[in-house]
Amino acid sequence: MSGDHIHAEPTSFWKKHVFSVDHKVIAKQFMWFGLLWLLIGGLMAMMIRWQLANPGMPVPLLGNLLFSRTDGVIDPATYNMLFTMHGTIMIFLGLTPILIGAFGNWCIPLMIGARDMIFPLLNMLSFWTVVLGGLVGLYSMFVPLGATEAGWTGYPTLSTTVGTQGSGETLWALAVFLIGLSSIMGGINYITTIIRLRAPGMGWMDMPLTIWGMLFTAVLNVLFLPVIGSAMLLLIMDRVFGTTFFVPASIMSGASGGDPILYQHLFWIFGHPEVYILILPAWGLVSDLLSFFARKPAFGYKVTVGAMFAVTLLSAVVYGHHMFTTGLSAMLGESFMLLTMIISVPGEILFFNWLHTIWRGSLRLTSAMLFSMGVIFVFGLGGLTGLYLATISTDIFLHDTYFVVGHFHLTMAASSLFGAFAAIYFFFPKMFGRMMSERLGKIHFWTTIIPLTVVFCTMFISGYGGMPRRYYDHTSASYLAPLQHLNVITTTAAFILGAAQLIFAWNFVRSRWWGAKAPDNPWEVGTLDWTTPTPVPHYNFKEIPVVHTGPHEFSHPKLGDRDWISQTDKLPA
Amino acid sequence: MATLTAELPREDPKARVNSTLGMIFFIGSWSMAFGTLYLSFLILRDRVDIWPPEGIVLPNFALATAGTVVLLASSAAIHAAVRRGRTGAPGFASLWCAGLLLGLAFGVAQTWLWYDLLAAGGAPQSGGYQSLFFGLTWVHAAHVALALIALMWIQYGIRTGRYGPHRISTVQNTAMFWHFMDVVWVVLYLSFFVF
Amino acid sequence: MNALRLSFNPAKTLTRVLASSFALFLFSAGVSAQDVVNRWGPTPSASSYGDDFDDLFWLITALVSVSFALVVILLVVPLIRDRARPGKKASYDHGTSLHDKRFTACVSIIVFVVLDAWVLVIAMEDLQTGFWNYPNPDNAATYKVEVLGQQWAWNFRATGLDGEFGTPDDILTTNTLTVPKDRPISMNFTSKDVIHSFFLPDMRTKRDVNPGSVNIAWFEPVIAGDFDILCAELCGFAHYQMYGKLHVLEQDVFDTWEKEASLMAQAAYDKNDTEAHWAWEWQE
Repeated sequence: MSGDHIHAEPTSFWKKHVFSVDHKVIAKQFMWFGLLWLLIGGLMAMMIRWQLANPGMPVPLLGNLLFSRTDGVIDPATYNMLFTMHGTIMIFLGLTPILIGAFGNWCIPLMIGARDMIFPLLNMLSFWTVVLGGLVGLYSMFVPLGATEAGWTGYPTLSTTVGTQGSGETLWALAVFLIGLSSIMGGINYITTIIRLRAPGMGWMDMPLTIWGMLFTAVLNVLFLPVIGSAMLLLIMDRVFGTTFFVPASIMSGASGGDPILYQHLFWIFGHPEVYILILPAWGLVSDLLSFFARKPAFGYKVTVGAMFAVTLLSAVVYGHHMFTTGLSAMLGESFMLLTMIISVPGEILFFNWLHTIWRGSLRLTSAMLFSMGVIFVFGLGGLTGLYLATISTDIFLHDTYFVVGHFHLTMAASSLFGAFAAIYFFFPKMFGRMMSERLGKIHFWTTIIPLTVVFCTMFISGYGGMPRRYYDHTSASYLAPLQHLNVITTTAAFILGAAQLIFAWNFVRSRWWGAKAPDNPWEVGTLDWTTPTPVPHYNFKEIPVVHTGPHEFSHPKLGDRDWISQTDKLPA
Repeated sequence: MATLTAELPREDPKARVNSTLGMIFFIGSWSMAFGTLYLSFLILRDRVDIWPPEGIVLPNFALATAGTVVLLASSAAIHAAVRRGRTGAPGFASLWCAGLLLGLAFGVAQTWLWYDLLAAGGAPQSGGYQSLFFGLTWVHAAHVALALIALMWIQYGIRTGRYGPHRISTVQNTAMFWHFMDVVWVVLYLSFFVF
Repeated sequence: MNALRLSFNPAKTLTRVLASSFALFLFSAGVSAQDVVNRWGPTPSASSYGDDFDDLFWLITALVSVSFALVVILLVVPLIRDRARPGKKASYDHGTSLHDKRFTACVSIIVFVVLDAWVLVIAMEDLQTGFWNYPNPDNAATYKVEVLGQQWAWNFRATGLDGEFGTPDDILTTNTLTVPKDRPISMNFTSKDVIHSFFLPDMRTKRDVNPGSVNIAWFEPVIAGDFDILCAELCGFAHYQMYGKLHVLEQDVFDTWEKEASLMAQAAYDKNDTEAHWAWEWQE
């Protein structure tokens, strides 16, 4: 059952491609699944942006198809459904499956020299559970009264029957529960695999940083997804069985009532680690890729690991900064403010090490490298603007405005997405045996980072102007009407950003079937995954490799003309 | 060839550690899930001055206590069964069976407890206390039900010779999960009925 | 081969054009910051502690801009200088020397002191003297308002002339709140149904309005005039239409208004209209 034995490759179509227990097949399944949902979530973003720039105007192209009842116009309830599902889909069904599902599954066994995950059956179950969760989420959009309108945070009492009728919200909670279950299964598998199945010679400090990122993410998944799972169960009980966990006695008759603030605590105990669940894999990947393409050892490897560990620890104790306007006591508020600010220290160390890694390197500016450097840029913007929101006295004004929207899109959405793009460009040759077009990749990078910066920086300005988020129409309030220009700028940039992703989609599909055949090690890097032949055979390694060197031994002075060495080779004395 | 126990393929000791480690992480994860429910209990309890609130029907103390005793006995039986199973001493199957039956008895006591409270007029909709009582015991009972299916599966496996000293890790891990259910229940029992 | 022959690579050219326009964009964004603020920044602060927000916002902006500029420089220099070319060798440096560790530690300390501690100290002081410095409710100068949020309207209750809540002369208004200038306005919030958030952008304040519990906030308007009240927490499909007006009147004008409104409320008091009898004991 564990991944260190060679089993015969299954021959039937179903066992080989659908209900496969092979981590490589599951990784690709997660990839396609996530990309499909990214497309759906992205289209929703485009519709949201259309409505904000042109309030009440029929949506071109798709409008009559999707909103035929209103002649193509998005009505306020539908608008709420769109941003709720956009958030849920992007976080749980888009980024999580790609970064953690696909690249966790792909990288962990291959990079640590294992033949498969330690629990392959659990791995398959994890994928099919997230599929089930996705289907429940999809179904929730087609029930009477439509999908939930309560926002991806699903705050009660809006998310209880007090605020939303119909089964949309219940199904949404069920979907989040199932997706959480899938992540926990994956997390247990990842942690156990990394602990038990590292190739001989691979100490903890010889692992690629990608694996460290995945490990910390898996730990956070295993610890904090159960929290949201329980919260969702309580919410479902409130909606279905009439319990009053989150409904106060003043609304429902009862000797003692519930507390809507309880949900906010539970949600953010999970919700803040979730931000790091999404970003840690990207950090790990980027830490490796920067070293790989700068042809220079990763600067301060152990310090990077320590910084990621510190962030993992801190992520569990800062959640209160999401609740500064809720009515936390002054003491709690101050403690959360201080703890949140402390995160900037490990964060800064990561930046310092990344920038130091590329300093005086020999940079190969491939698409993967550009996107990795893009993560530094985008996360720099997003992370630094976090300072405004960590500070209570500025957060009071900025809370729930577009400033927050810009901030969290840059940190958890754009940075993770850039990490995912970097990883796709990097691992594609090994995964699919073909090269992606570098030319299209570079055009994709520049046509993504420019409009992306415009989109979210404009949001900072509108947030500073006081524009609240989740408004169907900003022109109806006199205070906000002057800010409408900003919405038009944001939307224009967002459409360019959306269109640029078509370049990626084309590149991905074209390369998958018609790309140039990939050599075994096109990037000339030394980690174990690139020692395998392409396509990677069933059970990965004919013989379990023995590790002699670290993952980042580039440009060693004694290596002569060659500037890299495989982890299976010994460094010259 | 597979008829003689001594000739059955022995479990890889490495695989035993792997699966036990997996179960430990699983229980760690589920502790967070039950911990969250318990945190909800503490916070909602903290919101009112008098606990349990005055003038409500409380669940039957005697029934709950009986259920607790039965569940503790079940855990003890399962523990004894695993110790025998590991060495191949006699009594593995019968002790496991006793643990399983006691577990089923706990399920009966629990169902009775709910119906008893419902009949007396305490419904999940009645307020915060009842929400907590029903909600938390439901989630626990759902896990107990799944664990009971696993116990039955092992019982069947012991009968067919699938599990024994040669192949014990699944048995140990299931027992570990069962003890975890026991601990969770004891915490719930103490919170609702004692303190 | 002719060394002077110009080669044209469309992909390379396009990449360069895009990269330089990006640089141009970043540059122009920097220089036009003042324009942006004038055009799209919030309206001038109208409360006693509003300037604290504005000052701290710009202090953080300065700190963040310098930090980000450093990041961009450290990103762009290698991008231009350290590109791979034939014969170029990267330096072999694991960054594990004592010097590197000391350097990392120093940068961390600088970041913590400059970015965090500095801002933290100012923020704490602002909170103690401003937002959290709740006025004494027994002080006659403190003007008290009870705010009841509902889908999708703001209900306000002021004590009227008798200074007591829950009496027939309470001034009840929907979506318009009238307060005196230069007096601390103390507010109690709760909600009938879902969570709302009481947002006064001109006063630089915001507080969640939760069902089941009473939340508190205060502000002191220093400019007379009409201001906006927005809802900042998603509260259903008409969330965007849940806004009201705040009228800040000079003390003498306010006195006339209050007297008139209170007498009118007393005259219009309906004993049977229980819907309108919401009020709660003042909380602080």
